[in-house]
Amino acid sequence: MLLFLSPWIFGFVVFTAGPMLLSLYYSFTHYDLISSPRWIGLDNYRYMIGKLTLNGQPNQGDPYFGTAVRNTIWIIVVGLPLRIVFAIATAMLLTRPKRGVNGYRTLFFMPSMAPTVGASLVFVYLFNPVTGPINQFLGHLGINGPLWFFDPTWAKPALVVLGLWGIGDAIVLYLAGLLNVPRDLYEAISVEGANAWQRFRYVTFPMLTPVIFFTLIIGIIDGFQYFDQAYVSATTTGNGVGSPQNSLLFYSVWLYEQAFTYFHMGYAAAMAWILFIATMVLTAILLLTSRRWVHYGGGLS
Amino acid sequence: MRRTRLLALSSLAMLVVAAGCGGGSSSSSSSGGPATTLDKTPVTIVLWDMWSGREAQPFKDALKRFQVKYPWITIKEEVQPNPPNDTFDPNLVNAINGGNPPDVAMPFGPDYVGQWCAGGLWQDLAPYMKADGMTINDFAPAAITYTNVGGKQCALPSLTDAFGLYYNKDMFAKAGIAGPPKTMDELMADAKKLTVRNPDGTIKVAGFVPLNQWEELGPGDLANAWDAKWFDSSGKPQLATDPGWAAAFMWQRQLIDWYGYDNIVKFFAANTNNEFNPSNAFENGKVAMMFDGEWRTAFIKGDKHPPLNYGTAPFPAASDHPEMYGPARVGGTIVGIPKGAKHPDQAWLLVKFLASDTTYLVQMANSVGNVPTTPASQSSPELSLPPQFDTFLHVWANPKSAFAPPTTPSGNGYANHLDNFEDAWQSGKISDADLHSQLATLDQQISNDLAQGAGP
Repeated sequence: MLLFLSPWIFGFVVFTAGPMLLSLYYSFTHYDLISSPRWIGLDNYRYMIGKLTLNGQPNQGDPYFGTAVRNTIWIIVVGLPLRIVFAIATAMLLTRPKRGVNGYRTLFFMPSMAPTVGASLVFVYLFNPVTGPINQFLGHLGINGPLWFFDPTWAKPALVVLGLWGIGDAIVLYLAGLLNVPRDLYEAISVEGANAWQRFRYVTFPMLTPVIFFTLIIGIIDGFQYFDQAYVSATTTGNGVGSPQNSLLFYSVWLYEQAFTYFHMGYAAAMAWILFIATMVLTAILLLTSRRWVHYGGGLS
Repeated sequence: MRRTRLLALSSLAMLVVAAGCGGGSSSSSSSGGPATTLDKTPVTIVLWDMWSGREAQPFKDALKRFQVKYPWITIKEEVQPNPPNDTFDPNLVNAINGGNPPDVAMPFGPDYVGQWCAGGLWQDLAPYMKADGMTINDFAPAAITYTNVGGKQCALPSLTDAFGLYYNKDMFAKAGIAGPPKTMDELMADAKKLTVRNPDGTIKVAGFVPLNQWEELGPGDLANAWDAKWFDSSGKPQLATDPGWAAAFMWQRQLIDWYGYDNIVKFFAANTNNEFNPSNAFENGKVAMMFDGEWRTAFIKGDKHPPLNYGTAPFPAASDHPEMYGPARVGGTIVGIPKGAKHPDQAWLLVKFLASDTTYLVQMANSVGNVPTTPASQSSPELSLPPQFDTFLHVWANPKSAFAPPTTPSGNGYANHLDNFEDAWQSGKISDADLHSQLATLDQQISNDLAQGAGP
């Protein structure tokens, strides 16, 4: 048995557990990759929240940690519900057509096959406030379009649109969920005289909760790791990482900057551990509360 | 079948040769300093550089002279990708940790020199220089500001960038302006005079774009006109206390307000990412004046665009700081020996060549249009550069020119705080009344950051 498991054990120890333990150790050190790590206790964690004394001086710590946390929460709280609602609505539309069903489904799934980096580059072009087609179109309607990626208020909404465009994977999941709802449930509730909203509220939605739950957890984890779109769009506008005005400075982006631009490996490791703990805690809370609202058709609950 | 056997044989032979090389080099480098006699055993050294695109071939050609001078040394050139900071040091760190660094490293920018010099990424070149009778004073005074940290000579300059004002002569003539602005007040007045607006108020042609993100212009470059310094003599940040900074920010705000922030951002957005391609705004007459590096002269010559009648001059200085008409930000390609280099003695020969060989420097200056870094190469009759280039030779030689933001043992990542401040300031998020208190906060952030470099 051990023999069969050994490739997995080897991989786990060398590529997962080992590096994790090492990064936990680094999070208590000052480490720039070249000199050997120097033990500094909890100073990296204190630097994060700005309660620290360095060289006898009080140090306000990392001024952008809070910004990065707030941006990350924003993209989850605003972006994720929109994604779920949009995916369910699109999936429901996709159950409708009688002819060319596969064509439509392929069409909606296609964007999620585009690589994130390429898609982000295209969106920066589309949303260019002067040369981009979106503002040119708005201009024809007499609307003075926003500055999008050049304005801290509109940069994140532009990324939300990008997220909604590439939602094909979630649509496929919801479509599968919708097609699995037994017809007789709809027939039964129709006999009782339910309208469209009641059919959705009492049949479709409960039957979809396992899929919603799944996309919620995956969405939150993705949100915590939000990186590619933000990094690419901020750097291609010519403003630099996190710009405009740090509105696209997400947690993972800032972690990456600390690690690979400033070589504060110890601090980056501490940030990674806080991210890990936050993800675990949030997932645990969701799992615990899921019993109250997630309905498994198999009748186990 | 035969092929595979041959391959196996040849790889065995290579292994033997490699083993021989390894043995030879370790004995020569074990002394820990320069070898006293020239070891002429054939050897291959690895060079990391970033010369790509139109600059790749000229570099290869200029390097041939080294092979003629030192026929027993073969150079294996490995061109590194060009990331945003013009440095491949992150890869270099990995290569050193992996035990396989190049013998000579030649990044385009010194941004990481400070951070890595103290940390030991670069070997100290002082013993080699002493043995060969060289000092850093053989270069211009600015050289020391980006190659030497705390007395340790981590690299040498090998061609450099120098910055100044480019202006479109035809537009000047049309607007009735006699010559380039010499003061910041004149720059402001000329910028307004040269600007052409569309009927809706947006900008068709900008006189001068004062945005922090605009191509090469940084907040420090404007403040330099007031001789503003980042740190006081004890090394404490002084953006709030040195009045030059506030003066520069107010100057900038005045011009941005005149354009209208939305208008100038739209102009920036329409020209984003055009700095290094033939659609460049200045090259195509969309901007009348700009702050830029000497390389633009070569770009203007090489790029396809309508003929451009342009001049260069030192960047204007504040009227109460006439001494600042002349000096500017400088700094560019450096060359050094990374920690763990397998053939440091031979590497030094290449470093010395790249930093001080007059023919090499002149040849490269002529072909890629960078500033030659030694007095001999600057005054060489072989130098065939356009007349507009003279400005940059003088900027490099000016004793008040320096690399910026200043190199510190904690690196210069602290400059990021100023960029963030600038973004907020330009957009009007910070009011005139709050400028001083926000600059004090900025000083505090920079102090914190430098302490983090030394601390957590």
